[in-house]
Amino acid sequence: MIRLLSMLAVLILGVPAMAPAQSGPLRIEITEGVIEPMPFALPGFVAEGSGAESLAADITRLVGEDLIGTGLFRQIGPEAFISQITNFAAPVQFADWRAINAQALITGAVSTNGSGGVSVKFRLYDVFAGQELGQGLQFEGTAEGWRRMAHKVADAVYSRITGEGGYFDSRVVFVSETGPKDNRAKRLAIMDYDGANQKFLTDASSIVLAPRFSPAGDRVLYTSYESGRPRIYLLDVGSVQRRVLEEQPGTMSFAPRFAPDGQTVIFSISEGSNTDIYSLNLSTGARRQLTSSPSIETAPSYSPNGSRIVFESDRSGTQQLYVMSASGGEPTRISFGEGRYGTPVWSPRGDLIAFTKQNKGRFHIGVMRTDGSEERLLTASFLDEGPTWAPNGRVIMFTRETRGEAGQASLYSVDVSGRNLRRVPTPGGASDPAWSPLLR
Amino acid sequence: MNTGQYISGAAHAGLILWLIVGIGFESEPLPFETQDVTIISGAEYAALVEASSAQGTAPAPAPVAPPLRPDPPAPEPTPEPEPAPSAPEPAPAPPPPPDTATLAPPAPPVPEAAPEQASRVAPDPVERPSPEAAEDDIAREAVTLDEAPSDTAPEPPQEATAPEEAAPQIVTEAEEQPPSRAPISSRVPIARPDRPEPAPQVAEATPAPTPSEPEPDPEPTPPPAEVPEPEPAPEPDPAPEPVPSPAPEEDAVADALAQALAGESSAPAPAGPPLTAGERDALRVAVSSCWNVGSLSTEALRTTVVVGVEMTRDGRPVSGSLRLLSSSGGNEEAARQAYEAARRAILRCGANGFNLPAEKYDSWRDIEMTFDPEKMRRL
Repeated sequence: MIRLLSMLAVLILGVPAMAPAQSGPLRIEITEGVIEPMPFALPGFVAEGSGAESLAADITRLVGEDLIGTGLFRQIGPEAFISQITNFAAPVQFADWRAINAQALITGAVSTNGSGGVSVKFRLYDVFAGQELGQGLQFEGTAEGWRRMAHKVADAVYSRITGEGGYFDSRVVFVSETGPKDNRAKRLAIMDYDGANQKFLTDASSIVLAPRFSPAGDRVLYTSYESGRPRIYLLDVGSVQRRVLEEQPGTMSFAPRFAPDGQTVIFSISEGSNTDIYSLNLSTGARRQLTSSPSIETAPSYSPNGSRIVFESDRSGTQQLYVMSASGGEPTRISFGEGRYGTPVWSPRGDLIAFTKQNKGRFHIGVMRTDGSEERLLTASFLDEGPTWAPNGRVIMFTRETRGEAGQASLYSVDVSGRNLRRVPTPGGASDPAWSPLLR
Repeated sequence: MNTGQYISGAAHAGLILWLIVGIGFESEPLPFETQDVTIISGAEYAALVEASSAQGTAPAPAPVAPPLRPDPPAPEPTPEPEPAPSAPEPAPAPPPPPDTATLAPPAPPVPEAAPEQASRVAPDPVERPSPEAAEDDIAREAVTLDEAPSDTAPEPPQEATAPEEAAPQIVTEAEEQPPSRAPISSRVPIARPDRPEPAPQVAEATPAPTPSEPEPDPEPTPPPAEVPEPEPAPEPDPAPEPVPSPAPEEDAVADALAQALAGESSAPAPAGPPLTAGERDALRVAVSSCWNVGSLSTEALRTTVVVGVEMTRDGRPVSGSLRLLSSSGGNEEAARQAYEAARRAILRCGANGFNLPAEKYDSWRDIEMTFDPEKMRRL
């Protein structure tokens, strides 16, 4: 019994004695930071095996270009490097990279197997923490596909640092414009997101408009005046085979877009002065009318989960944006600002809707939440229109046209924050871009 | 009763007691400011008061217990109203248009170049640094090797650095002002407080265009631009001049107290006094200047993380000690991104040691930093 009591005594007296050991850590709250490009070091990828040197240099350069192009990163020139990476497997001297203030370090190696096969591997390091970010990755491909491999590396780096999905390994379908303004040849064309590898999908015999990718990126919907009236066509990107989708005598059909399931197409049919929105099931051919007001309803776009549709309508007297259920029904107006709103596009992330706004003689590309709140205009110019989202929902591409006789349309991209507005290089004039999903 | 029952009984009783007593101690301590209070005798107090009044400063009868610091939230000297962040001059103001309107053809299409803006965006705008100053995260004055005191190790010569130019917010093309606007606003001359007694920290006035750093101790490496936004909250930090008159007096008292204590007992220094508002602020500003949220996902920008870090005695973070204590607002992936950005901020700006008073090491050996990007989301 005495033993028991003494144990209790120890417990009673001992526990309080442990309590005041720590007076607690210093607590501070940080609410203000900076927004600036993150400096990274990208030493040339190591060429493993003969003949890989130029390929390694090209891939390294393109990875750097992809990252810089986001506006979120700044590349540190190789002249500042203290140590070099000559062996992909050797441990990294973090102090050397810390000294030049590189926050991220990307090392890589390129090897060829003699029969055209190429393998690229890379690692990403957080220099100041002195540790690797994620696992190293390796991609296999061919020498011709080196650009895609570089884009894949850059996507992995971008994604690992920012937490967003990547968008470099993607393509853009658009309308290529050549010739003077009054006799302009318009052809469907496709290119990498950065303007490389441009190819034409149609000839210049008829006017084409507003191409849109399927969710898998293998097909394209577009509007053509081939028959004299606007009609919707479906084109297979691989075989460049196409077919007419909608043929209703006496009507015009346009503004097509895929549903997220890839099986349903949504578009507008115009009859007389009335334009309404319809959906069409590609496998069954079943067609369904979704709006029936006597005004103009067009430019529909699905939410990424396919449950809702945003579109433009002038039922209130001016052109505004509305959201309705994917099965039709009473729409809710979401745009209430000054001016006219059009060409809404739901973000692939589902959080925002991009649109074109015309107000006081100027055009803007803007974004708002799906309930219409937090409207933010990102650009302003003589003519901006037709936004399309990058696969990660972080960047918007659109058409900008300059004023006057010599006015030319070209493609621009802008970060959803409004930063990093830049022209997308195209050989000639270009309009109506549509961004593909991320390639596989 | 055999021994087994004794052991069992004792263990159970102990467990029950532990549960009863232990719960009380595990509750999360609320954040609070600790103040050190030293109990001294009446004679000592009299001596102290004499000592401080001997230095000429009129001893106000108010501080009854001299070692008690006056409450930090003394928000009396509100910081001078700063030039509103609406005049950040992202680009040199265009020359005012001539009076005579010329019927020129419409201006050529706006060049597609994005509006001129600093590549860095920070809540506290930083003007373009002087051309001879290299850009760095921490502003430093030039230090040359003049007759350095022989006992201290000569510091290597250091070039002047200044924080990179920063715009106060993201300026989109749509928000760009039309170029023909009249000058947006003129800078308000900074009101000079006509304070009779020379405040010691004024001597520090940095020549750089950055707002002068209210760090009280004359360190050669003040952290970059102070955050002078008018905060209505009665936080102690916006008081850049740490409470005008009591400071010297308090120092005198503290010195005398230290002497008195040293005289009678050389007790091991108790847990150091808490950091002053200015010292905490300096630390916060130093970390802020390296906290780059520009490459964070929108999801991570909705995530607040609390990061724990241990510090070495010379003010450097122990890199292995950084850990994510908690997060709120985002999913696990977003919390990881947010934590990594916070970790970079602490390690990068702490690489040369934060400017923390060594004598108060005990109070900043463990730090919990909360990174709340709410404000940055609105830029």
